[in-house]
Amino acid sequence: MQRLLVFLTAISLIPLLCNSFSPENPTDRRLLVLLDDFSLKSTHSIFFQSLKSRGFDLDFKLADDPKLSLQRYGQYLYDGLILFSPTTESFGGSLNLGAVLDFVDSGHDLILAADASPSDLIRNVATEFGVDFDEDSSAVVIDHTNYAVSETEGDHTLIASDNFIQSDVILGKTKIEAPVLFKGVAHSLNAANSLVLNVLSASPSAYSSNPIFKSSRPPSLTGSAISLVSVVQARNNARILISGSLDLFSNRLFSSVVQKAGSSHKYKKSGNKQYVTELSKWVFHERGHLKAVNIRHHKIGETDEPAVYRIKDDLDFSVEIYEWSGKSWEPYVANDIQVQFYMMSPYVLKTLITDQKGLYYTSFKVPDIYGVFQFKVEYQKLGYTTLSLSKQIPVRPFKHNEYERFITTAFPYYGASFTTMAGFFIFSFIFLYNKSQ
Amino acid sequence: MAARNLSGFLVLVLVIAICEAAFVFHPITDAHRSAALDLFTPLDGSFSSLEEAYEALRSFEILGIDKKPDIRSTTCHSVLETLGSSSSSPKDLYHALRVNGILKCEVKEELFEGIVLSLKAIVSSASSLLEFYYSIGSLALIKDQSSNANVLLSDAAGVFRSIKALSQSDGRWRYGSNNPESSTSAAGLAFKALAGVIALASSEIDQAMLGTLKNDISKLFDSVEKYDDGAFYFDEKVVEAHEHQGPLSTTASVVRGITALADVTSGNIKLPGDKILGLAKFFLGIGVPGDTKDFFNQIDSLASLENNRVSVPLILSLPATVLSLSKKDQLKVKVNTVLGSNSPPLTVKLVRASRSGSKDGSIIESQDLKFDKESDSHFLDLPKTVDVGKFVFVFEVVLHDSELEKVYATGGQTQVPVFITGFIKVENAEIAVLDSDLGSVESLKKLDFAGESIVLLSANHLQKLRLSFQLTTPLGLAFKPHQLVEKLVRLQVFLKLRHETKVDHIFVVGNSGKKFEILLDFLGLVEKFYYLSGSYDIELTVGDTVMENSFLKAIGKIELDLPEAPEKAPRPPLQPVDPYSRYGPKAEISHIFRAPEKRPPKELSLAFLGLTFVPLVGFLIGLLCLGVNFKNFPSSAVPATFAILFHLGIAAVLLLYVLFWLKLDLFTTLKVLGFLGAFLLFVGHRILSHLASSSAKLKSA
Repeated sequence: MQRLLVFLTAISLIPLLCNSFSPENPTDRRLLVLLDDFSLKSTHSIFFQSLKSRGFDLDFKLADDPKLSLQRYGQYLYDGLILFSPTTESFGGSLNLGAVLDFVDSGHDLILAADASPSDLIRNVATEFGVDFDEDSSAVVIDHTNYAVSETEGDHTLIASDNFIQSDVILGKTKIEAPVLFKGVAHSLNAANSLVLNVLSASPSAYSSNPIFKSSRPPSLTGSAISLVSVVQARNNARILISGSLDLFSNRLFSSVVQKAGSSHKYKKSGNKQYVTELSKWVFHERGHLKAVNIRHHKIGETDEPAVYRIKDDLDFSVEIYEWSGKSWEPYVANDIQVQFYMMSPYVLKTLITDQKGLYYTSFKVPDIYGVFQFKVEYQKLGYTTLSLSKQIPVRPFKHNEYERFITTAFPYYGASFTTMAGFFIFSFIFLYNKSQ
Repeated sequence: MAARNLSGFLVLVLVIAICEAAFVFHPITDAHRSAALDLFTPLDGSFSSLEEAYEALRSFEILGIDKKPDIRSTTCHSVLETLGSSSSSPKDLYHALRVNGILKCEVKEELFEGIVLSLKAIVSSASSLLEFYYSIGSLALIKDQSSNANVLLSDAAGVFRSIKALSQSDGRWRYGSNNPESSTSAAGLAFKALAGVIALASSEIDQAMLGTLKNDISKLFDSVEKYDDGAFYFDEKVVEAHEHQGPLSTTASVVRGITALADVTSGNIKLPGDKILGLAKFFLGIGVPGDTKDFFNQIDSLASLENNRVSVPLILSLPATVLSLSKKDQLKVKVNTVLGSNSPPLTVKLVRASRSGSKDGSIIESQDLKFDKESDSHFLDLPKTVDVGKFVFVFEVVLHDSELEKVYATGGQTQVPVFITGFIKVENAEIAVLDSDLGSVESLKKLDFAGESIVLLSANHLQKLRLSFQLTTPLGLAFKPHQLVEKLVRLQVFLKLRHETKVDHIFVVGNSGKKFEILLDFLGLVEKFYYLSGSYDIELTVGDTVMENSFLKAIGKIELDLPEAPEKAPRPPLQPVDPYSRYGPKAEISHIFRAPEKRPPKELSLAFLGLTFVPLVGFLIGLLCLGVNFKNFPSSAVPATFAILFHLGIAAVLLLYVLFWLKLDLFTTLKVLGFLGAFLLFVGHRILSHLASSSAKLKSA
């Protein structure tokens, strides 16, 4: 019976394994959604439905489910984690802060949504990614000049923001017309963390404070230092989305009418749905994931890759770069990809020319320094995965017979030698056969 | 598990309650109608199950949606299939009959008769609550759908007793006689089943039995739970691992059971009106669920409450709770049933309105709102004495016909928080730089917040900066700041100084009795400013939730001259890097090759090459002048041959040197030279010995 059970488990896992995250197919497939309460499935159903319709398997669990586990037998069971549990003080099962960090460290993606007064656990997870939620646990973002006009909400905590990050890869090519509604807690970005990006920022007049009690102290977070939604792309290309508002993903804000204070234009629907959908596409690697293949280099006029270059050789370098579109690899077109010819420091740094079909190429002369060089393509662009390729190649000096042979400057020396030789030859006749009279 | 689910739901509902501006419930609106059309979308013209089809059809029916998807033919087909199949369980039959009740598919009477017989057999042998529920429910449905089928139960009292046997002392019920766990949801199912039994009974049910049932109901209502906002709901004490057993489905089940019972007992069941209203508030407080099951439960329960025989809840709602003084908004109140139908004639009374959080007396007391027939709402013009602020309005609904008080539940007094907003004038704003020791004003500038002008100031660390202004509320009374602060809700008066390096400092502008004022003593602030001299932008933010003209304005620049930073002074914090400039292509690097050694011009080398020929030419001319001859050349054949060979050898060696220069390597050259040398040695020896012997002969001669 037990054997049969094991067999059935193995069989049922096979399709999962085949579908899972791989370098060739970088889009996530299996997502674990941790909730404080199952009713969130209903109040945030549009968001979950949009994920399901894009082919994700969603596994809903309560955040304190005692059977929670991200991995089994050293294999991760999920490709992504959605933490919609802002009040959870500790996860159930084997999941804890360390397990979440390990999950991200192994290249998996995370969406974390907090809400007013997030728990310490959620704060700690966010802090690890360079995001600090306002320490005052009762504080929320208030903005008296950029709030969403509402006939029933007068406390200006529903923020209508359109300070999006300017990046087509993160937010998609279609412009988000309507402002995004946000209601929740403010966070600031750790200035020492260069990987975290603010993708939705508050207006300069916003501040973070308790909406009910008055305080005479200046608020800890104000103005543009407040980040409403942030993303992180780790060095291993794991992507993390941190939002200060769980309502941002809710059906209610998805379908609500937006009118920004001070503006007479009324949008029929908020930009939340588009914004969140596009962000989730980015987070789950449906966009902005690059791969580089076929790094090639050879001497000009040849086709084979040499084992070594001589100094001052002219060479051709080419690489192919593709972007994952969620279904297939499409040629990536950009004009800022650079190659370095590198030994301790770059000796040559050149921008590659593209043929618009994914091929990038250039040619240059090997420097007159010998040693072990590398071709390096270090490509970092806002929102795209980092490309870091290197290929080692030695460079040798000239061989003794490769120097210039007949130098004009030396012709007088040659001339002197050969005239001496000619003189000697003539002299040998004279010396031997001259008969003095 | 139950506690967790409960607390989670509590949080959710509280969040929603806060979002919906606490304690205001709105009846079903068009948002539900459009959501219903989005939620219930059939796949390929049909729903996956009859249960889902019923939920969709019933929701559309309740909401009065005409533009529903056309699923009649496919759904009717599966209804007939289910009804015709002998293997259909009571549950399948129940769902099929429910769908049939709405779609009115053409079902043959004989089919009903067969089903009725088998259902009756199930009822008489049933032991579990669900069996009773589905089979009795099906029979009750057939009663409505077929005129001929004999659905009446002969032993209604027996069935009633066997269902009643499942009840527990705390008002909850068990699912089966061998299942010890009791459930609130099951109570709802049992009530519904009992209602069916009463409706199907061929003779009157004993009143005593109904009396015990009423007792059960009141016991069940003892366990009802309550939120702060007045919403009542039922929840399971022990939640099984079933997904939809949240408070919503439990409460929905109870509400359906109670209303069904009330219908068949012609209003014999008495329940306090506020609990019924509380249940309605619970369903309305959920908003628009995104799950079909939740949506159906919400809409179906509200529909049961809409026309129930216990008491019909009336919901008092305000279309707007943010009222603007500048736009002269009226206070409007609507009273509707839960599904948004009109209420009976009634008067809404504003019992009192008082400032939220203040102990002052109320500003308005007991006023009746006027009724406007066209918009079907009650309204009141705000009295002139009302100023901005956050208020709590207390309303009471008085029905004109006091007889109706028994039919409708109005819930007594309703508290509604209301924001009254208006323009707040900023006046007498001035900014000045003061000398510290004397306090004398060095430069004083008036500020005009309407214009775009900015002021330019300069100060050193021994001076002070003073900013002051007055705020006046729409009533035109120049309030003292502390009174004003009390009126305002979330007053935000910040002064921000931003250095060129983006390091900024926020100060809260306080009030000094008469006006808002801030005095910045730069001497005490140098450390806070990180000793950064230079130009600072001054920004003033004045805002409040009830201030319609909240603003953020750059009012000027100040050139600060601060002392040099001492060694241990704190450094300004790191500023985040601009994400756009962080990436991007680097400047290209091209290798600078070592310059080739300098060489003389070609002409010079060639000229010197020419010069090297001069000695050879001189040598040849000298030889000609000397008159050289070759008389010593051997005349006989053998020595002459050797002589020629010897000189050819020498020529070959020299040629070898030329070849060595041109292309040969050292090894080839030495090899060839070895052979040539041996040859030269031989022929040289021969010719030289010949010449030596011939000269010796000459001498001796």
